[in-house]
Amino acid sequence: MSNTTTHIREQVERFLPKVLKPSRYLGAEWNSIHKDWDETDVHMVFAFPDVYEVGMSHLGTRILYHLVNSLPRFACERVFAPWVDMEEKMRARGIPLYALESFRPIRDFDVLGFTLQYEMSFSNILNMLDLAGIPLRTNERGQEDPWVIAGGPCAYNPEPLAPFIDFALLGESEEQLPEVLNLVAEQKKNPVSRREFLLKVAQVQGVYVPEFYQVDYQEDGRIAGIIAEPGVPKMVEKAIVKDLDTAFFPTNPIVPYMEIVHDRMMLEVMRGCSRGCRFCQAGMIYRPVRERSPETLLRQTEELVRSTGYGEISLTSLSSGDYSCIQPVVQEIVTKYSPERVGVSLPSLRIDSFDVKLAQEVQKVRKSGLTFAPEAGTQRLRDVINKGVTEENLMEATEAAFKAGWSSIKLYFMIGLPTETQEDLEGIVHLAKNVANLGNKLGRRNVNVTVSTSSFVPKSHTPFQWEPQERQASLEAKQKYLKEKLRDRRIKYNYHDASTSFLEAVFAKGDRRLADVLEHAFRAGCRFDGWSEHFRYDVWLESFRELGIDPSFYAHRALDYDDVLPWNHLESGVKKRFLMQEHFQALQEARTLDCRHNDCTGCGVCPDRGVQIDLKG
Amino acid sequence: MLLRIAYSKLETAKYIAHLDLTRVFERAMRRAKIPMAYSEGFNPHPKIAFGSALAVAVEGEREYVDVELRQDMDIREVLGRLQEQLPSGIRLLEGSVVETGSKALMAVLNAASYLIRVPMALPIGPERLAEGMDAWLKREHIPFARYSKKGRTDKDIRPWVKRLTGSVEGDAVIVELEVEVGNSGSVRPEEVLASLRDLENLPFDLEALQIKRTGIYVHYEGQHYSPLDPDHKRGFRSEAR
Repeated sequence: MSNTTTHIREQVERFLPKVLKPSRYLGAEWNSIHKDWDETDVHMVFAFPDVYEVGMSHLGTRILYHLVNSLPRFACERVFAPWVDMEEKMRARGIPLYALESFRPIRDFDVLGFTLQYEMSFSNILNMLDLAGIPLRTNERGQEDPWVIAGGPCAYNPEPLAPFIDFALLGESEEQLPEVLNLVAEQKKNPVSRREFLLKVAQVQGVYVPEFYQVDYQEDGRIAGIIAEPGVPKMVEKAIVKDLDTAFFPTNPIVPYMEIVHDRMMLEVMRGCSRGCRFCQAGMIYRPVRERSPETLLRQTEELVRSTGYGEISLTSLSSGDYSCIQPVVQEIVTKYSPERVGVSLPSLRIDSFDVKLAQEVQKVRKSGLTFAPEAGTQRLRDVINKGVTEENLMEATEAAFKAGWSSIKLYFMIGLPTETQEDLEGIVHLAKNVANLGNKLGRRNVNVTVSTSSFVPKSHTPFQWEPQERQASLEAKQKYLKEKLRDRRIKYNYHDASTSFLEAVFAKGDRRLADVLEHAFRAGCRFDGWSEHFRYDVWLESFRELGIDPSFYAHRALDYDDVLPWNHLESGVKKRFLMQEHFQALQEARTLDCRHNDCTGCGVCPDRGVQIDLKG
Repeated sequence: MLLRIAYSKLETAKYIAHLDLTRVFERAMRRAKIPMAYSEGFNPHPKIAFGSALAVAVEGEREYVDVELRQDMDIREVLGRLQEQLPSGIRLLEGSVVETGSKALMAVLNAASYLIRVPMALPIGPERLAEGMDAWLKREHIPFARYSKKGRTDKDIRPWVKRLTGSVEGDAVIVELEVEVGNSGSVRPEEVLASLRDLENLPFDLEALQIKRTGIYVHYEGQHYSPLDPDHKRGFRSEAR
């Protein structure tokens, strides 16, 4: 066995100087964990289906890697999608995909766990299985192959991947994953049949075994029904960490040598967001809001600084400005660590809770631009999506920012939102110009406003899951309109490629029939679809045509409340009744207020699931 | 306090890119609780300055870095604490305090030596090798094509090469090379080997080169000085005179 790893290492080192960024493939970073193979019972490899610098920036990956390794019986290693130049060299020399820590082939592991962060990384999953020499479909694999599992936000609708994964983990894995690995350990010691094992795993909270659910279709293509086999839950409900304050959090994370996308310490201040934006999947599936206490966070900060040496700490969550103790925690970290030149950053600031003093604290050590996300151009549309912020909020926030010395402001919007009209587009132009004018009025030279638009992608488990996506031609016309209207030397306009957003919508709302398309596209060479330089839209369309599947059926059809959705049997804790009610409210242009400050909105997560909102301030 | 440190960068540390090395040292210093000095300005950065860049996958037996500290500290303590926080493969060899405001390493280091192992595509004997190398060294000008985004430029690489010897060892050739480095550029070892292969028909397999930089020096009047050696400044003084 060690012969194989030495052989792989030697082979790889021979061509490593010739690939881009060799550090991606070496795995001996600071704080990486190299456990003895023979002294651990279960070997898991955590797979991120994108390049190293993207995967290493992901907090969930870090948490689970260190969580599994914190348990003496288990070992966890990492693997990322090799960039195309590396893949070519590996394939040319017959080198299998290997784990970074030990250089051991992936197929030697007991568990191969993919995280599903983005629909456009699905083709990379198939490519990584193929590079590992693991048959793509579960029914082609043997006992020697690892269990291929998946988690993360896209696991709430893993249907397009159903034939490729043995099971999916829904929800938060801090307690669930060790439970699953214990079952794997037991299975290694006293093996039972595959079916018996999967039946056992299916009893763990949030574990979904696709092959135990039979999906039938109607003649018009809609789903007729999803039937669970006896012995598995009819409805799979996500796993939830009840007490975030005592939950595992790694304070000795890996520090890469190469620069990664989010190259800093990450401190998770809270989980969940109760703002209730109706397009936002994260805001629905990570409920309820649970905060960490300032004492815990300050202790973790100290440990992080000492173990990593990073010069920046990011207070992360879905909306860190909403964390009830944000001000004292930021203050304390800045006071304590600015002599060591450790700066604080906040990933996003809400316009309505924007506090210029807080922003200035954050900027004490390092200066950067400010980003705000009004998401829509008019109050009417912002009410539809329940964004809650007003134009006054934006103007006040930007005024404070300009007065405090900022001159660069980024504004994020979505186009193609349900009920959007011409007026809403004009609203985007109006807001951008108003911000730029305000900057000039306040005497800022070099005012610089960047407007970015993404195209609305309806996501499962949100109030907009029944909504269609707007057609590409129409989205492109809107992009063209904005490009013309935003022609102003103070304003820069960026937008996302509409065909990518289209495929995102197809897979976000897709079902099992898409698995064949995915495999076809992968075999035809699709990978790194989220990277514009590798995205081959024509090959994707050809794959749909070849298999007689209409992608538009998934993206452009308005669904009925009575339709059986592909994810009907998978639950985030937020009830369908609540999503319907929110969808209705949206069409009435009516707001639903944040349950952390107002009445319970009845989404269904608490107290039904034995959890409640947990605020520390 | 300005500290000049000699270190080696071997084994897998050779894959740490030069641009990433500043971050590696900065983080190691912070973990070691060594107070770094920072530049003024909008985006302060730590005062860490290296000598000539080492290409990715080239090992360095003795490289140099200058680090400025906010306060005076015992050198042995700094080196000891820092070493514990550095990745394996980076070993600190020695350090000394240099006057603040000393010339940067980049400005004083002007020569480098390399040891290269290059497999042969066809076996040749030592005579054939020596012949080829002599012929190459006798050339007055050796143009070599470099390609960049701007296109092709031809550069005369001969003036940079100060010494070149080789010996046959099994199915490989061991090359010792000494080159001049300077603000106006230098020559890369793999360029010298490619040129030897092309001009003198030496059957080198350049795909599997192993390159080690054995040292980088202050060269003055035929002598090599370490930038840690106070004598290395003799050259500048005489130049000033």
